[in-house]
Amino acid sequence: MDFDDTPEEAAYRAKVRDYIAAHRGELMSVSEGGRRAVDLDAAKQHQSLMYDGGLVGVTWPKEYGGQGGTQMQQAIVNQEVAKAGLAGFIGVIGLGMCGPTVIAHGSDDQKSRYLGRLLRGEDVWCQLFSEPASGSDLAALRTKAVKTDSGSWRVNGQKVWTTLAHVSDYGILLARTDPDVAKHRGLTMFVVDMHAPGVTVRPLRQMSGVAEFNEVFFDDVEIPDEERLGEVGDGWRVALTTLMSERLSLGGGGTDVGTGLDAAAAHVAKRIGELPETRQALVRQEFGRQYAASLATRYTGYRQLSAISKGAMPGPEASAGKLAGTKTGRALADLGVRLLGDEAVYAITAEGDGRWQNSQAGLPGMAIAGGTDEILRNVLGERVLGLPPEPRADKGMSFNDSLRIGASE
Amino acid sequence: MNFDLSDEQRQLAAAAADFFTSAASPGAARASLDTGAPIEPGRKAMADTGFAAITIPESAGGGGGSVLDLAVVAEQAGRVLAGPSLVTAARAAVLLEDDADRLPALADGSAAYAVIEETGGPVLDATTADRFLALRDGALVAGGGSITERAPIDATRGLADVTLDDAEVVAKDGVARWERALQVGQVVLGAEGLGTASKALELGVDYAKQRVAFGRQIGSYQAIKHALVDAFVGVEQLRSLVWWAAWTAEESPAELPLAAAAVKGMAAVVLEKAAETLVQVHGGIGFTWEHDAHLYWRRAKVDRFLLGDDVEAFDTVARLAIAGAAK
Ligand SMILES: Cc1cc2nc3c(=O)[nH]c(=O)nc-3n(C[C@H](O)[C@H](O)[C@H](O)COP(=O)(O)OP(=O)(O)OC[C@H]3O[C@@H](n4cnc5c(N)ncnc54)[C@H](O)[C@@H]3O)c2cc1C
Repeated sequence: MDFDDTPEEAAYRAKVRDYIAAHRGELMSVSEGGRRAVDLDAAKQHQSLMYDGGLVGVTWPKEYGGQGGTQMQQAIVNQEVAKAGLAGFIGVIGLGMCGPTVIAHGSDDQKSRYLGRLLRGEDVWCQLFSEPASGSDLAALRTKAVKTDSGSWRVNGQKVWTTLAHVSDYGILLARTDPDVAKHRGLTMFVVDMHAPGVTVRPLRQMSGVAEFNEVFFDDVEIPDEERLGEVGDGWRVALTTLMSERLSLGGGGTDVGTGLDAAAAHVAKRIGELPETRQALVRQEFGRQYAASLATRYTGYRQLSAISKGAMPGPEASAGKLAGTKTGRALADLGVRLLGDEAVYAITAEGDGRWQNSQAGLPGMAIAGGTDEILRNVLGERVLGLPPEPRADKGMSFNDSLRIGASE
Repeated sequence: MNFDLSDEQRQLAAAAADFFTSAASPGAARASLDTGAPIEPGRKAMADTGFAAITIPESAGGGGGSVLDLAVVAEQAGRVLAGPSLVTAARAAVLLEDDADRLPALADGSAAYAVIEETGGPVLDATTADRFLALRDGALVAGGGSITERAPIDATRGLADVTLDDAEVVAKDGVARWERALQVGQVVLGAEGLGTASKALELGVDYAKQRVAFGRQIGSYQAIKHALVDAFVGVEQLRSLVWWAAWTAEESPAELPLAAAAVKGMAAVVLEKAAETLVQVHGGIGFTWEHDAHLYWRRAKVDRFLLGDDVEAFDTVARLAIAGAAK
């Protein structure tokens, strides 16, 4: 057991650090103040500059413009990016979810057209899965794709909560191509051009105040058959690739959730002296609990990383890290806000610090996005502990028949 | 980075599992409680297998292993509510580390030590001990003691009130090793707690798969499923913390004080949650004396107060983290 970099990892880390240091002035930082909307050009510039340094698409195969590196190298990049306080990538959804899905299921033509531009930040991608009537129960989605006489597909329906759709050039779209079979069977995945006629994107403001997700309407949108990802009716399997990649990109790896443990410790150290003794004891009690819990999540991430570096794929047990990390991240954000005293009721302090308020308002989304806490508990209970699933009212029914459940009363 | 047990440690865990499952059990824990039957496996068997002496150098007759090696074994001991605690063995090994006379006697089991806390109070494994270690005015002392047994909640912990007689000085300046012994003890306590909690979880999961209510296995109800999952998440988080803290004991001693306190606190919380869930998932049968559930529950309710309580541990974590950040 050891926590040191191997000589190769240390050399890689030094390279990453040097590159970030050399370009620090041109790279974007995380915002410490109020939440603000993305500056698209600057964000693309940021990703492109990071790409030039080999820090984007670390694990992607070289033939598609990636670095052909390891998950451990990706984790090193993540750690150094966090340490330097750099902003995340505008291509976050594309890099984490859409790109890997294209790599796994796309045609050679799709790969050569899309992947390089995605990596360099020239195109932004979004993931068009959730709908008003299907979030957790993703396979119940209703957006329809119908084959036309010319062989292309005509799409009608609505997606929602689509992160970054308002700035996206492409999306991966899961649609129903056969309503007469069971819900998981009748789905097909497509790449959709977000600038195509009939696509309408309406930003939705999130509870944190910014508009990062959207609703997306499809009215007779035409998609060429060449833009299908995988076989007709195989969309559920393709979507599982996406969700598995999501698990990898969300899966801890030892980086802290929310504002970060060191920042939290510095904040407590700075503020605690201003409080009366009795309050100090209460703060220490809560901080000590969350500090221990955060260390446990960090080291659980390291365990997972060690397993990945030996060739294991993260299984459903990785969800335990997301559950625990979200919980302690939220508790630390809450403590951070409390410690602001009178300033805690404002969105940003007089000194211009809005980190804790941002975390407070942003982290409830972590408990919903990428599988809600309840769905993750179901997954862990059934797939890891082997507990029996819940009975399903729509089991064995075609999608069309399942629509009648609850409709008659 | 390689944050995983070695093959040797996995083999050690398997060997420990073999020994402890045959030498101790919740049934034995119940018998100790009912009739005062001896705590199993007991001092002699633990010494004969060498498990109690893992962290004692080979030159003194021990195993020459690491705290992490011991933690891996302690987890297995915790699964079957074994006693006396490896916490006591680990602590005594640190306290007597440079005592050429006493250390071999500790290693071969000819002397049965227990450790009196600095603040006094109940002494872990006192009922099976004949020698006691204590800190008196900064000096480490050893001596015989008078034991007052009391009605136990968990008999396997061998707790009793002790007054030290005829103490001799082992080391004049004992404070540093006292602290370290306590911290190593907290890590080993966390490792035993990890084993107890994971076994409690498994028993709960097994029952939830069998028991049927309203025409369904109860494990299909989310109230049951999610409670078990929360216990599972806690166990896996605790496992990471135990391994890391045990590793710091030899490999990164500067981190040990915070790591040990974090483990102590978190083990108390995780074990309590797992044990309470175990009882609840079983319904009425889980509330009977005959069922094993309450034996895990008893362990949880007592362990949380050993070597300091969770409140004190989390306070220590916070103080150390704040001091680290202020630097
Ligand atoms: C910040 C953010 C970004 C997102 N980005 C995207 C994106 O880019 N692309 C995309 O496709 N989607 C995105 N989503 C959507 C997200 O995947 C869904 O919100 C999520 O899957 C939950 O679906 P829902 O909102 O329909 O809630 P519902 O599924 O309706 O759930 C409502 C409540 O019911 C509970 N519930 C549902 N089913 C069960 C069950 N079987 N057992 C117990 N409880 C249950 C849920 O846990 C939840 O508490 C995003 C969401 C958020 C918050």
